[in-house]
Amino acid sequence: MYEAVHAYPDGDATVARQAMTAARYGYDGIVVRTRAALESGGGDETGGENAPATDPAAIADEHGVDVVDAVEIDADGPTAASGAVGNRRADHAVVCVVGGDDRLNRYAVEEPRVDVLARPNAGGGGFNHVLARAARDNEVHVEFDLGPVLRETGGDRVRALADLRKLREIVTYYDAPHVVSANASSHLELRAPRELVAVAAEAGFDGEWIREGLRAWGSIAARNRERLSGDFIEPGVRRGRYETQR
Amino acid sequence: MKHLPKHLRPRWRYLAVGIETWPDAEVGRRAFQRALWYGAGNLLGDAGSADAGLKLLSFSCSGGSGEAVVRVRRGHVEEARAAVACVSEVGGDPVGIRVRGISGTVRACEERYMRRAAASSTQRDVAFGDAERSAVVCGDAYDVRTESGYVGAAAFDIE
Repeated sequence: MYEAVHAYPDGDATVARQAMTAARYGYDGIVVRTRAALESGGGDETGGENAPATDPAAIADEHGVDVVDAVEIDADGPTAASGAVGNRRADHAVVCVVGGDDRLNRYAVEEPRVDVLARPNAGGGGFNHVLARAARDNEVHVEFDLGPVLRETGGDRVRALADLRKLREIVTYYDAPHVVSANASSHLELRAPRELVAVAAEAGFDGEWIREGLRAWGSIAARNRERLSGDFIEPGVRRGRYETQR
Repeated sequence: MKHLPKHLRPRWRYLAVGIETWPDAEVGRRAFQRALWYGAGNLLGDAGSADAGLKLLSFSCSGGSGEAVVRVRRGHVEEARAAVACVSEVGGDPVGIRVRGISGTVRACEERYMRRAAASSTQRDVAFGDAERSAVVCGDAYDVRTESGYVGAAAFDIE
């Protein structure tokens, strides 16, 4: 099972600390949503020689969990988001678009190059049957963000729970792919998979469905890593052993 | 009052809970118990909260890490686990929290899941980012003090 986290400089814990905590909590890997936190995102140049570790493979070796470099695109509108997706797709295993308004949600689910529509309900954004169908056809995973359920109180939490319920009803009806995350921005906000399942069960989710959502991060990463590797030509076609490098 | 006969006594389960905070956080026993009850009340409602029980039996927390034993009525363990996971801050300090394990007796819970002595933490100056900063070191975990509060780092970041 994988969890998608924010890391320093975007969050309050470095990638290595998040990986260490995730390993202790029993995750198989973490998806780092912060672009500047890992090497391929350009994190190396910003911090100088004593910057926190940025090499995903080395961190993965050290702590025994997979570290996936991802990017979260938080744009003002579909045009800006589309440019950013085009630029980042080739460098990152997972591309998320932060939703939150109707036009962005619509753009994200209709773009096959996007892997995950993150936080579709965060702003005033809505989700409906049209978007669910598009998400299913384009294999865009809809994120179920349990963060507000864990960390908010009162009215905000009630609204978050109501939104999650509505989203769940639409997404399960159309069988659109989904991912689940606690959206942790530091190691203190991370929760173990069993805890997430228990909280979600109180909110009316099925336990196996939540675990499926946590595993989905891993399968997205595996698929895209294969596609980004040099041997991949198109679905079903790979460079074989008789092909020589030209 | 006279003890209840054995078959009428409530059955309990004991949760071993691991706690993590920033090194300067002051988390007290009463504050933690209150956070636990509030968390349960908000998530499970009054009736569910009363069913689960969630009584704090032992608690210790200092220097950024701690542990606790929470008593829960048997059969309400998953609800209790959810309530525990919803404790995100105690008295304004953010906490990381995790159920390490569940036992049928307090003694088994302590023997199996409690570390006898918490790893001692020390203060050290480390190079982090572009400056020399002071950090609280506890095993492999480094909490580095920066202008905007603590940043969690690992030994791997510092070397």
